[in-house]
Amino acid sequence: MIELKNITKIYEINKSDKVIALDDINLRIKEGELVVLKGASGSGKSTILSLIAALSKPTSGEVIVDTKKISKLPDNFASVYRRDNIGFIFQKYNLIPTLSVKENIILPLVPLNPDASDIQNKLDIVTNRFNISHKENAIVRNLSGGEQQRVAIARANINDPKIIIADEPTANLDEKLSLHFIEILRELKVLNKTIVVATHDPLFFGLDFVDREIEVHNGKIVV
Amino acid sequence: MKNKINLYLIEYAINAILRQKAKSFFIVFVFTLLTFLLTSVFFITSSLKYELDATVDSLPQIIVQKIKAGRHYDIDEDVVDTLLGIEGVEDAVARVWGYYYFANAGVNFSVVGLNEYEKQYKNSFEKIVKKIELEKDDKSFMVVGRGVQKVMNKSYYKEYFNFIKPDGTLKKVNLGGVFDADTELESNDVIVMSKDSAREIFDMDEDKATDVVLKVANPKEVRTIVSKIKSIYPDTRIITSDDLKVSYQNIFDYKSGIFLALFIVSLFTFFIIIYDKSSGLSSEEKREIGILKAIGWRVDDVLKEKFYESFIISFFAYTLGVGLAFVFVYMFQAPLLQNIFVGYSQLKTDFELPFVFDFQTLFLVFFLSVPIYIGATIIPSWKVATLEADEVIR
Repeated sequence: MIELKNITKIYEINKSDKVIALDDINLRIKEGELVVLKGASGSGKSTILSLIAALSKPTSGEVIVDTKKISKLPDNFASVYRRDNIGFIFQKYNLIPTLSVKENIILPLVPLNPDASDIQNKLDIVTNRFNISHKENAIVRNLSGGEQQRVAIARANINDPKIIIADEPTANLDEKLSLHFIEILRELKVLNKTIVVATHDPLFFGLDFVDREIEVHNGKIVV
Repeated sequence: MKNKINLYLIEYAINAILRQKAKSFFIVFVFTLLTFLLTSVFFITSSLKYELDATVDSLPQIIVQKIKAGRHYDIDEDVVDTLLGIEGVEDAVARVWGYYYFANAGVNFSVVGLNEYEKQYKNSFEKIVKKIELEKDDKSFMVVGRGVQKVMNKSYYKEYFNFIKPDGTLKKVNLGGVFDADTELESNDVIVMSKDSAREIFDMDEDKATDVVLKVANPKEVRTIVSKIKSIYPDTRIITSDDLKVSYQNIFDYKSGIFLALFIVSLFTFFIIIYDKSSGLSSEEKREIGILKAIGWRVDDVLKEKFYESFIISFFAYTLGVGLAFVFVYMFQAPLLQNIFVGYSQLKTDFELPFVFDFQTLFLVFFLSVPIYIGATIIPSWKVATLEADEVIR
């Protein structure tokens, strides 16, 4: 379970200029739940995702995942937490464009130095599941937007994480590819992953497999 | 499993180097050039130091020269008997030697005359007179240094050489062997022949010598013996091995000065690169570190990868630079650079740098370059890797 308790996040642009991204919010997401955070750009959706993934720390309040206070984790432990629990699908994919599909997907495993057979097994599972196996050796920068996103999804799932986080996943896709992504989400939901999606794309609203839609406005959750 | 080398991380590091081909090539080029320059200079000075040390060790303890009007003149050979009578003098030998200018090649040879029945003042000469008869069946023979042999061969003198005497007539001397001495610097331009042949070539009287060298039983008595000689022969200049060491050392210090200048220029350029690298990472490099952190790499994973990356690039360039320096100095005899260091040999025969393998030199160049480069790469990466991943990606 993911719990955000009295979270405030303030970004300091400079000494006199501060932006309140989140203002004392509380949120609970159950295991296996698929939650869509919706709201305009700059409403604070991405900041929530960033805190859940321990990519940043709250100014005040606590983020608790499975009883672990992840907002208090030292940097190295936060990395390990991300590696073992989080699959993050970024808006701009955040792939290394000059590496191959395979090299990008296995990146989270590299520091673990696993056996080659172990890597190959995991790679086969995700590339087949997300239909990118035929492009394994292609260089990422030569792929289409949809293919790049599938690589990003495969990378996010290579460690079989419990939590999948997607930040504006369809922002760079056309409608057909966006619908394809939604189908992928449905598959991940079947696998009992906890999924949090931040989007303002109307295609995500009113989907039958989405458990909750939460609106974020000006750093607050709209009840 | 945890202890084995992480080949995936090394592979990633190699990929990172190859991804930035132009930048990596530039770094390898500059790094290799600097390592090459530094190592070449070190190799040359090591070789020269070896040569000079050996030369200084083999110098005679005292040299007595006759001086008239401030100029060096031939000395009477019978002075030797008087000098041997001075207490403390173990041995005295009259030397016949001089420079012979070979106009065809524009070089000077050092001609040394030996008497086979005398005790020689150098071990290498002792070996020669034991092996080769310098006068046999009315023919004169000579033993030459490798440099001399090369020069003579170029002028098609393979079995003998015709020396032009001061009166314009020729003196034919047959080649008896090639000099195999302890040091190259000293023996390369040397021609050894009988004293009589040398006197003939230099048009010296039979009872004259160029100078007299003395061996003293107790080195602490050198100064006392010098003053005794001076009182017996006021018209002489007496040079001790200590005086010669100083003049050799002066030459070497001069070379050290040039070396230092090159060294400083190299280091200065190297530090410009280091400064450039340590002043920060490009936005792409920062973003990549942010991505790696976001997908679960720890700070030490990022630093390990950066270590491999910088070690591979710097060690490769270091090895390449050292290898090129080795080929340049010992196989090609350091063209251009050698002229700076052995400039005085212009009128002498070619000088070959002896191979001196000095681990200290290699370690010194290694520690002056590789760890500095690794540090300059890792520090800015560490600064970025310790920021919040979210901040770096944004």
